[in-house]
Amino acid sequence: MKLHTTEIGETTVMALAGDVDLSHSPTLRKALMELMFQRRAVVVDLSAVTYVDSSGIAGLVEAYQMARKNGTSFTLAAISDPVGRVLRLARLDRVFTIADTVEAAVKG
Amino acid sequence: MPRTTAAQDAETSSHLDLMIEMTSGFAQSQDMEATLRLGLERVAARLGAEAASLFLLEPDSGELVCHACIGPTEVTGLRLAPGKGIVWRTVDLDTPQLVRDARSDPDFTGAIDAATGFVTRSILCAPMSFRGQKLGAIELFNKQGGHAFTTADGQVLRALSMSSALALINSRLVAAAAEQEGFRRELALASEIQRAMLPPPQAPASPIHGINLPARGVSGDFFEILPLADGRIAFAIGDVSGKGMNAALLMTKTASLFRCLAKREDGPGRILAAIDSELHETGLAGMFVTMVAGILDPASGRVVLANAGHEPPLLRGRDGFHPIEDGMPPLGIAAHLFADGCPESVVDLDGGALYLFTDGLTEARTLDGAMLGSHGATSLLDAFAAMPAAERLAAVMRSLDEVGSLRDDVTLLVVEDGRPRAKGAATGAFARCYAARPETLGEIRAAVTRTAGELGCPPDMAQDMVMAVDEACQNIIRHAYRGGEGHLILHLDRQDDLLVIRLMDFAPPVEVAKINPRPLDEVRPGGLGTHLMRSVMDRVDFLPPPAGIGNLLQMVKRITP
Repeated sequence: MKLHTTEIGETTVMALAGDVDLSHSPTLRKALMELMFQRRAVVVDLSAVTYVDSSGIAGLVEAYQMARKNGTSFTLAAISDPVGRVLRLARLDRVFTIADTVEAAVKG
Repeated sequence: MPRTTAAQDAETSSHLDLMIEMTSGFAQSQDMEATLRLGLERVAARLGAEAASLFLLEPDSGELVCHACIGPTEVTGLRLAPGKGIVWRTVDLDTPQLVRDARSDPDFTGAIDAATGFVTRSILCAPMSFRGQKLGAIELFNKQGGHAFTTADGQVLRALSMSSALALINSRLVAAAAEQEGFRRELALASEIQRAMLPPPQAPASPIHGINLPARGVSGDFFEILPLADGRIAFAIGDVSGKGMNAALLMTKTASLFRCLAKREDGPGRILAAIDSELHETGLAGMFVTMVAGILDPASGRVVLANAGHEPPLLRGRDGFHPIEDGMPPLGIAAHLFADGCPESVVDLDGGALYLFTDGLTEARTLDGAMLGSHGATSLLDAFAAMPAAERLAAVMRSLDEVGSLRDDVTLLVVEDGRPRAKGAATGAFARCYAARPETLGEIRAAVTRTAGELGCPPDMAQDMVMAVDEACQNIIRHAYRGGEGHLILHLDRQDDLLVIRLMDFAPPVEVAKINPRPLDEVRPGGLGTHLMRSVMDRVDFLPPPAGIGNLLQMVKRITP
């Protein structure tokens, strides 16, 4: 898994790439939690994610819950097919705010 | 009550000094004989004896032997058989003997006086004993100045002889412990030599593989794999009765004999008979060897076997396991048993595998404490059937070892039909053992992607299978092993139009309820994995694990093109 963040105005864009599995999900979770503590608006770019497992999804769910509590925005953007498949199976596609592109997500 | 004088006080206190000095000398002593001699010198000087000797009881002969001697006559090494004499009387009665006039004592033999010219007048002798454990006695002769020894002298000597007895017991215990430590080191060395003697891991293509797991210390098990000049391969497995150094040496000897004789003798029956005869050349003192020797002809897939008292080898054929029962008594029992040779059995592998093992396998314990037995052993072997032979043996051993069920050494040997399979037997089944760690998940996913494709799953389905296996592996890593070290075995196979995935671990049984899926309307992290598995598979079931070891999860999905 690769993780890269960019600041666009008030929003942090976190781009993930590769396999987000149990060996990487703790890193993802930690990075997301830090942004949540800073109360940043976060867009997670999932376009280059080749695989995500339940532990990766769990990290996203936790961030979603914190953002709701904080009243900040948390958006998943440009989700790849593998990510979309897992989100649908877990019926989380109706829970997360999902944008087609990163640009659309940043504009809100 | 008599008043003590200043002189008496001084004497008592100097006796005490002597006792303290000697007791601490004993405690620090490395050389007991020298210490006892020095102690005897001091006692003799302090109590004013012209001569003194120290006798120790020799357990083997039952005699008293003089270990130290002070005075004009040298009697060190003198042996006193049980019977008369003041020393024996002291030891027998276990109380100090004060003889004011030796000549009037009926037990005084005078033999030493006669031999040495020494004239014994008075004797003081105290037993060296502690809590009824008799070690010997200290004997003093002739108080200087012509007086006889006194009762007070007797008390001092008794106290000193008792503390020397204690010191001696102590030093003997220390020596015994040191000897045991030496023996332990010897065993460790022997076990190292044994391990070095076992055949190295064979090349994956070899039709014969073996593995040995010593339970602790020195093993009585052995196996051999020995390619012969004509392309055939000789092999053997054996178990020496008993434990420890003798068993280790006999095992080493038997294994060496096999290596030497396998090249010379024609057929395993002759090899075993020749080993038996060699073993009788050197006395075995009640020890014996159970052993199977065999020769595989890889070209025909045919094995010739001979069995001397060993567990029957098991042939895994198309329709299950068959024991090869023929056999003789163990080697080393009686020379006449093998006088007419040893019968041989011919086994056609016919694409199957022949397993040979020591009783450590069938006597291993399952998690509920029951013995594995031959049924448990065969189901364990079958559980790993799709793995390459060497990995399969390692997986069986690991599954026993990780649950700590081994009570004895285990040795396992497999002889396979290495010929290319004629009848389209290649099923594409996949089995492999992985470390149960997050870092290996990528490798596992790659293997599932590849194998699912090979078994005819369309790409979408393959992707789902990858996810199901990954989630199941996560459950093993997180819930079964709880983050600790462990292994898992992944098995994929196609049965008609069904893809069957099995995952086995060696952790304590998991409570299935704990990893059941959570209600999905409850949005929280965790609990998703099992739901994902169930949504993509047709069936997800925990099966009774083979041999009651670990957990076995089976997931099934119909393959629709």
